[in-house]
Amino acid sequence: MIDVKGLYKDFGSLHVLRGVDLHVDEGEIISIIGPSGSGKSTLLRSINLLEKPTFGEIWVEEKLITPPDPYLHTEIIRASYTYKAMMAARGEDIKVIREIKEKDLLKENSRFLRKEGPEYYALLKKIIAEHYENAYSVRRRVGMVFQHFNLFPHKTVLENMIYAPMKVNRLERPKAVEKARALLDSVGMLAKQDVYPDTLSGGQKQRVAIARALAMDPDIVLFDEPTSALDPEMVKEVLDVIKRLAETGMTMLLVTHEMGFAREVSDRICFLDEGVLIEDAPPDIFFSTPKSERARTFLDKVL
Amino acid sequence: MQLDFSIILKWLPQFGSALLVTLETTVCSLLLGLLFSIPLSLCKISNIRPLQWIASFYTSIFRGVPLLVQVFMMYFGIPLVLPVKFTAFQAGTLVFAMNSAAYISESMRGGIKAIDRGQYEAALALGVHYAGMMKDIILPQAIKSVLPSLVNEFISLLKNTTLIASIGLVDILRVGQLIQSRTYRAFEPFFAISVFYYILVMGLSFLGKLLERRVNKSDRR
Ligand SMILES: Nc1ncnc2c1ncn2[C@@H]1O[C@H](COP(=O)(O)OP(=O)(O)O)[C@@H](O)[C@H]1O
Ligand SMILES: [Mg+2]
Repeated sequence: MIDVKGLYKDFGSLHVLRGVDLHVDEGEIISIIGPSGSGKSTLLRSINLLEKPTFGEIWVEEKLITPPDPYLHTEIIRASYTYKAMMAARGEDIKVIREIKEKDLLKENSRFLRKEGPEYYALLKKIIAEHYENAYSVRRRVGMVFQHFNLFPHKTVLENMIYAPMKVNRLERPKAVEKARALLDSVGMLAKQDVYPDTLSGGQKQRVAIARALAMDPDIVLFDEPTSALDPEMVKEVLDVIKRLAETGMTMLLVTHEMGFAREVSDRICFLDEGVLIEDAPPDIFFSTPKSERARTFLDKVL
Repeated sequence: MQLDFSIILKWLPQFGSALLVTLETTVCSLLLGLLFSIPLSLCKISNIRPLQWIASFYTSIFRGVPLLVQVFMMYFGIPLVLPVKFTAFQAGTLVFAMNSAAYISESMRGGIKAIDRGQYEAALALGVHYAGMMKDIILPQAIKSVLPSLVNEFISLLKNTTLIASIGLVDILRVGQLIQSRTYRAFEPFFAISVFYYILVMGLSFLGKLLERRVNKSDRR
C-alpha cells in the first residue's frame, strides 16, 4: 500500500532523513519510534507531501507521489540539449547524462531550464503539473492526525467534520452530516457537535480530529504523536479510540512515545535514529531483543 | 463678536444631506478597501517574488504621496491621460479605498502570519486546495484579528474624507465653508463640525475597544 524507497530529506544543511526504506501493507499497523529529532514527523509528513522529499520515491497504492525528479525522467532527458548533443557526438552512456542532470537539479536554476529551449521547458512543465495533480490527490486517501489537533477554531465540531468531505469529495450536505454524526458518535463526541473546539478538552479535541480524518474515508491514517500534547488523564480515551480503529482493519502509521500501546497494537515496530530506519521488527522481538545498541539505549531510557 | 448658534439650526437640512455624503464616502471606501486588501495581502504573503514587489510598490505609493495630491491626480489628472471619467464621489472613494487597502493589507498580512502553521497543514492534509484553504480556513481567521484595525481605518477615513470638499463634493466641511461665505461666520459652523467629528470618532473608538476585547476573548484557549 505504501512504499518508501531511499527517501532523503534535507533542511538546508541538516540531513533529516538519510535513505529511508519502508513498506506498509494493507491493514498493517506500524509504529515508528525513536529519539526526538530523529525525523519521525518528517517521514510521516512526507507521505502526504506536507514535506517535499529531497530525493527518493514514495508510492501510495501503486502511484508515485513524490515530487518528480524531472531530470531523471527519461522523456525529459531525451528532450534536453545536453543529451541530444552528446548523442550526436558519440553514443554516450545514459548514466553520465544522469550525473550531469543531477548536478543541474541541485542547482535548481530555472534560468538554466529556459536555456534548454522552449520545447524542453514546456515538456518539463507539463510533467511536473501532471505529477502534482496525481500527487496531491493522495491527500484525500491519506488521513493525518496531528499532535496539536489542528481543529479549525472558527468552525463548530460538526462543521469541522463536514468541511472537507463537502469541499473535496463533493458530498451533499445531508450525506456529509449523517456520516459526520455517525463518526462523532463512534468517538463519543456526538453531544458536542455544535460547540466550538476551544471549549473542548485536549482529549476531546483529539477524538474529534480523528473522526475528522476518518470522514474523508482514508485508506490509511497517519498519527503523529497523537497523545503527546495531552494531559495524562486524557491519554487513555484517545488511545482507546485509536485501538478501536485498529481493530477495524485500518492501515495505520503511528509515531508515538506510548511504548506499551505500540507493543499492544502494532504489527511491526520501526526504529528511526538520525534519519535512518535501523530496526524493523515485530513488537515482541523488538522490545525483547533489539538488535542495535542505539535501540537498546533508547528503550532503556523510555521503559 | 456675538456668537449665534442658531445659524447651525437654519442650515440643518444641508448638514443632514452632507452627513450622508460623508458617511457614504467613508463606508464605501472602507468596504472597497477591504475587498482590495485581500488580493493585496495574498500577494504580500506569497512566495512569488514579483507579486511581493508589486504589493510593496503599491503600498509605498500610497504612503509616499500626500492624500490630497492623490485625490487631485485621480479626479483631474488621470482622466486627461486615460479614457476614464470619474465623478467627484467616484474619484474620492477610489483613492480612499486604495489607501485603505494598502493599510488594511498590512494588518491582514500580520493576521495571516499569526495563524498557526497547523491550520494550513490540517487543511492541506484533508486534500483542500490552496484557494479553498485561504478562503475558508485562513482568511476568516485572519479577518477576525483585523477587525480592530478596521475600526481605526474607519476613523481615519472619516476624517480624511473632508478632502473631497476640495473637488467639489458637498460634505460636512463644504457646508461649513458655504455658511462662512454666506454669513461671514466661521466659529459656529466649524465648531459644530468639530464637535460632530469628535463625537463620531469617540463613539467609534469605543466600539473598536469593545471589538478588540471580544476578539481577544475568543482567541484565548
Ligand atoms: N521545517 C523545518 N525546517 C528546518 N528544520 C526542520 C524543519 N522541520 C523539522 N526540522 C528539523 O528536522 C529534525 C527532525 O525533525 P522531526 O522530523 O520533527 O523529528 P521527530 O518528529 O523525530 O522529533 C529536527 O532537528 C528538526 O529541528
Ligand atoms: Mg515529531
